Amino acid sequence: MRTPLFHEHEKLGARIVDFHGWDMPVWYSGIKEEHLATRRHAGLFDVSHMGEIVVKGPLSEAYLDRVLTRNIPAMKDGGILYTFLLNERGGIIDDLILYCMVQGERYMLCVNSSNKDKDHAWMVSRNSEGAVIEDKSDSYAMLALQGPFSGAILKTCVGFELSTLRSFHFALHKTIPYGELVISRSGYTGAGGVEIFLSPEAAPALWQSFLDQGAVPCGLGARDTLRLEMGYPLHGNDITESTTPLEAELAFAVDLGKADFIGKDALLDQQRRGIARRLVGIEVLDRGIPREHCRCIKDAREVGMVTSGSLSPVSGKGIALGYVDSQLKEGTEIFIEVREKHLRSVIRKPPFVSGTLQA
Amino acid sequence: MDIPEGLRYTRDHEWVRVEDGGVRIGITDYAQHELGDVVFVDLKSAGTAVKKGDPVGTVESVKAVSDVYSPVSGAITEANADLESGPELVNQDCYGRGWMVIIAGAPVMEIEALMDAPAYRAYLEQEAK
Repeated sequence: MRTPLFHEHEKLGARIVDFHGWDMPVWYSGIKEEHLATRRHAGLFDVSHMGEIVVKGPLSEAYLDRVLTRNIPAMKDGGILYTFLLNERGGIIDDLILYCMVQGERYMLCVNSSNKDKDHAWMVSRNSEGAVIEDKSDSYAMLALQGPFSGAILKTCVGFELSTLRSFHFALHKTIPYGELVISRSGYTGAGGVEIFLSPEAAPALWQSFLDQGAVPCGLGARDTLRLEMGYPLHGNDITESTTPLEAELAFAVDLGKADFIGKDALLDQQRRGIARRLVGIEVLDRGIPREHCRCIKDAREVGMVTSGSLSPVSGKGIALGYVDSQLKEGTEIFIEVREKHLRSVIRKPPFVSGTLQA
Repeated sequence: MDIPEGLRYTRDHEWVRVEDGGVRIGITDYAQHELGDVVFVDLKSAGTAVKKGDPVGTVESVKAVSDVYSPVSGAITEANADLESGPELVNQDCYGRGWMVIIAGAPVMEIEALMDAPAYRAYLEQEAK
């Protein structure tokens, strides 16, 4: 599959890879350069592969409150929430961003592309309320404009004043050249900025306009290193159907106080029994780069496993997320086994670096 | 794609330069371009005996890890210490300052069996199809 921006990526000479069935740019100029451009200036990402599922009708609120982990009736128009679809065992089917378009009437879920069909099927199968559920992924392109200069670029290109929008809120913004934009103050980089939904037909022109104002095109490679420096989990690696939000230290996105939701009993049960492992940040002190599946060792005993690892382009150090025995606290030294070597490392609470850097 | 004359090449995209006292080995322009930003190079140390096809080190980009295989048999006499602090030299100057190891004692037959520049170019063109 190709996004509406595929030809723009080709024109820019992007290295294209197959990402869960999508031909996506992994880098243009290089991951490090794109990564640093996002922290210092502004990076532009095509994330049109992400899925959009619309839930609407008078039963949508009650339905979503039961299949998602947060308090949906408390949402107001223009609000967004990071939340989960859980299975009955409390495992994470997907993590997603929920947009409240019209309170009680219309919501949009922005879900991971590789999980979209699975999410949709799950949501339909659990729809005892009778909400209207539509996969609208083909109706939207999605751009992420991230970094400290995003606001200035946005103002020049579409006349939108970013300072009027609070973090984790969105606005509908009508433009002549690009139609209606859903501008969301959110992102996956820690660098600040916006994510924008718009019609696929308008996407190439807005993409070009952002580039003309100095935004640097960035691929999935930089998107991954940027999120890892912040400690943001990636579904499929750091969180899966076999891990719960409690183990992943994501309890902030679960409202255990609300009446009921799918997975709640399993989470309460896990809380009573105690959490055996937890997702932590790990910084490597020796030279070397931890990778997914590397073992964590302490006192000659296996104490965990890396789920994402890379080199931090900002600090130059190896960084990772992984599950370790929950007794191991921040500051504990462990070893990560990378091929035959044991790299001295330390458990650290992310972020590993600051989200923005001086230009 | 830069493929200098006078070097020998492998199917795994290493190059070999015959010098006094040994052969110098690195990865080709094609290989560094495929890898993207090289951020870490880990080489076997001087004194290590290698057979043709043995790994002499690993090269890591942000996304991927690749082994570098010895194109010939012999003993490593020197590993490029500059790559420890400057792995980006592999991207910037893969046939020069981005070299990896020097191997002594390689049989001439093994070297001559490797591709020359035109053959390597043809090999890349065929691979691209």
